Amino acid sequence: MTSYGLLFYVLAAVTVAATAVAITRRNMVHAVVYLIVSFFGTAMIFYYFGAPLLAALEVIIYAGAIMVLFLFVVMMVKVDVPGEVMLPARQWIPAAVFGLIYLVVAFLMIFETRGTEAPLNLFSASPRDFALYVLQNHWFSIEVISLLLLLALIGALQLGKSRARPGTGDEI
Amino acid sequence: MIVPLSHALILAAILFGLGVFCAVARRNLIMIVLGIEIMLNSASIAFVAAALRWQNLEGQTFVLFILAVAATEVSVGLAIIVYAFKRTGSFDPGNYSMLK
Amino acid sequence: MAYATLAALILATFLPFAAFLLIMIFTRTKPALSARLSVGAIAVSFVCSVLLLTQNWTAPGPVEYSTQFLASSGLNIQFGFLADQLGLLMLTIVATISLLVQIYSLGYMAGDPGFSRYYAFMSLFAWAMLSLSVSRSLLQIYIFWELVGLSSYLLIGFWYEKFSASQAGKKAFVMTRAGDVAFFLGLFVVLLNAGNLGVLELNGPAARGMPHEILTLSALLIFGGIVGKSAQFPLMTWLPDAMEGPTPVSALLHSATMVAAGVFLFARLFPFFSLSPRAMGIFLAIGTISMLLASTMAMVSRDIKRVWAYSTISQLGFMIMALAAGGYFAGVFHLTTHAGFKALLFLCSGVFIHHLETNDIYDLGRLGSRRFKIPTISIVIAAAALSGIPPLSGYFSKESIITALAGLSNPLWLLAGFVGVFLTAYYSFRVMFVMFFPKEIEPEKVHAQEPYDAGYRAMAGPLIVLAAATVLLGFFEAPLKNFLAGIIVIDLQAPEHDWSHIAALVLALCGIALAWFEFGRRGAEQVGFIDKIPPLYHLFAERWYLDHAYRLFVDLVIDRGISWLLWQNDNKVIDGTIDELAGGTVEGGRISAFLQTVMIQYRLLAIFAVLVFLAFYFFFQKI
Repeated sequence: MTSYGLLFYVLAAVTVAATAVAITRRNMVHAVVYLIVSFFGTAMIFYYFGAPLLAALEVIIYAGAIMVLFLFVVMMVKVDVPGEVMLPARQWIPAAVFGLIYLVVAFLMIFETRGTEAPLNLFSASPRDFALYVLQNHWFSIEVISLLLLLALIGALQLGKSRARPGTGDEI
Repeated sequence: MIVPLSHALILAAILFGLGVFCAVARRNLIMIVLGIEIMLNSASIAFVAAALRWQNLEGQTFVLFILAVAATEVSVGLAIIVYAFKRTGSFDPGNYSMLK
Repeated sequence: MAYATLAALILATFLPFAAFLLIMIFTRTKPALSARLSVGAIAVSFVCSVLLLTQNWTAPGPVEYSTQFLASSGLNIQFGFLADQLGLLMLTIVATISLLVQIYSLGYMAGDPGFSRYYAFMSLFAWAMLSLSVSRSLLQIYIFWELVGLSSYLLIGFWYEKFSASQAGKKAFVMTRAGDVAFFLGLFVVLLNAGNLGVLELNGPAARGMPHEILTLSALLIFGGIVGKSAQFPLMTWLPDAMEGPTPVSALLHSATMVAAGVFLFARLFPFFSLSPRAMGIFLAIGTISMLLASTMAMVSRDIKRVWAYSTISQLGFMIMALAAGGYFAGVFHLTTHAGFKALLFLCSGVFIHHLETNDIYDLGRLGSRRFKIPTISIVIAAAALSGIPPLSGYFSKESIITALAGLSNPLWLLAGFVGVFLTAYYSFRVMFVMFFPKEIEPEKVHAQEPYDAGYRAMAGPLIVLAAATVLLGFFEAPLKNFLAGIIVIDLQAPEHDWSHIAALVLALCGIALAWFEFGRRGAEQVGFIDKIPPLYHLFAERWYLDHAYRLFVDLVIDRGISWLLWQNDNKVIDGTIDELAGGTVEGGRISAFLQTVMIQYRLLAIFAVLVFLAFYFFFQKI
């Protein structure tokens, strides 16, 4: 176990802890901020695993754009919804039971699978190599994704448009 | 020489479990979407680790797509949530019972 | 040459249909154009049919064009044209009568709001009947048979605003349909046993292989259709009611098309039917009963159209008798001549009815029907032909029927024939004398001028043509006999029964004399001998209570029996099932609404649980 190897566990611990805190916050602003920490951790794990471009994108898109979007929404509407039952027992007990079963199964499956215990080699895909690979092999998927993003843009615009008829004062 | 793949997968599994827990247990639409984001994120970690394990950029490419889909899903999902909030004044999924 | 024949056949049969479509689609609002279209189409048909008849006058065998319509194992149905002698003769008769009636209708129907519709239906009628007469297979005949029924329904109920007219149309439709069901079943029996519906095949070898009982059964079933269509006993009462239609329609219906279709079918399948002597015996009995019953009804009716309607039934009975007695030529010949003089009778009556606006023969006489010269002369000719007075066409055809009946071993049929001849002469001249030698008259009406407008001329033209045909047609007996001998073996040297002809003629003259004594002579009280016997009079006037019997039958069996069962079925079974179904659906919805907890998260949880179990499954499968 090298010190470089130890770094992964630190990052993993930070990520898991931030996520766990985030999902238990009553205040959604706090939750979003903790989640940003979690995504930063993920980004560093990406870098650690030799994906610098993805790490940058993770920060920019996930921690940046998506979380900011969440923040906006949370702040736009009333922040603390009164009377929200934080974690109703009817929901969290089954969720926890199934989650535990799931974790056990996942651990079992991961450890039972041959070839996962060997340490990974260090390797880094430079952004240039990655971009070349993607655009040479998956250019069509990129186009489809761009179309999807365009659709999302139009959809969000349409949904966000106020439905009020002029003069009626009808909000929706 | 760094960590084995299994440890990275365990991290992804824990994060996924947390995401599912968030999506199932929290009575708040925004938190449900957040949970889904966490799940997507854990999948990304697994993909990147696998890409490293097999020295293949295919895994990383997939993460790129996951990012794009996540961005799409969040923007449309949040727009729907805001719209629904305007109609019902609540984020509680239990209040959406007009069809019942 | 062959193609010319085919082209002529197609033209002759399909032009009226084209006219029907054109009128219905384009020219419903332009009556003059509609009439021109329709008359033009039927005129071309007429020309084509006459050409075909003359071309094939000496043809050795039937001309046939057909394609396979349905062929599967053991099944063989052809569609196409079968232009043999009988078909061509019928084609010509139908085209001629249709043409004349349509020309006549120009005057009769002038100004009617449904003028275009009338001509459209007339074209449809002509198409159906023309196609029927040259149909290749029984299925094709059945199709056009039903089309004839449909168009006659439309025409009988032409003045549908009148309740009785639409009722009469319905009655005609339903009663003929009752016969057609039997016809259709007969087709099935034939198809299952002979594997073929072609007319030629059935008349030829295909039917000979059938077992005797099956043959009799199918003959009887097909004859059921004939009974319905030709208004024979016991399905005869629709025909008098069918008088509600316009008079030209009655003329067409009673002479060449609707009712003639039944006799035509009999003649068509004559060799097939004659394979079963037992069935032929039944046909003979039915024909005789219808003939006598209808004659008695005609003796007491005061409605001129009804008299002719009853007489149609009785003449059709004569034809059936002749055919059933084996007199193929006699039946077909009487069909031909009857088409001519019966159309003439109706068309003449139509002129009177149109101008004097009454159907009652006493009223017609009182209002001076005598002043219409052409119709008066024509109707007397026609009535004389109907009674069988030489040298008119009816005399020759009746003579051949009597010959055919005299050939039978049982003299009863001949006797019935004689009675029929006597009654026919009596009732037709009863009408003549009442109409033209009225007891009292309205002078100012009687001395009015005979109208000579365009409408009258349009009506008078066909009358003259038909009267000429009635006078002349009888002299074509021998050529016609030779012509028809081409398709069927007719014993040209049939034994002559001179005494029976003379007896028939004497009886007919006796009938006329009796009619003259009671209605025609100066100072006659114009009351028939039947009228003096009230029970008989009521029996005849009420049509032997046949309608009452039907009413009773319908009340008992259909209303109380079948309807009641159906009503129960409706109420208990169907409604109950539907109610249960609806209730079950509501209950099911209520139950499944319990499952719907509103919380989408439970569904998420369910998805997740399934994922976990799937993971389990794959995990343990791998180990």
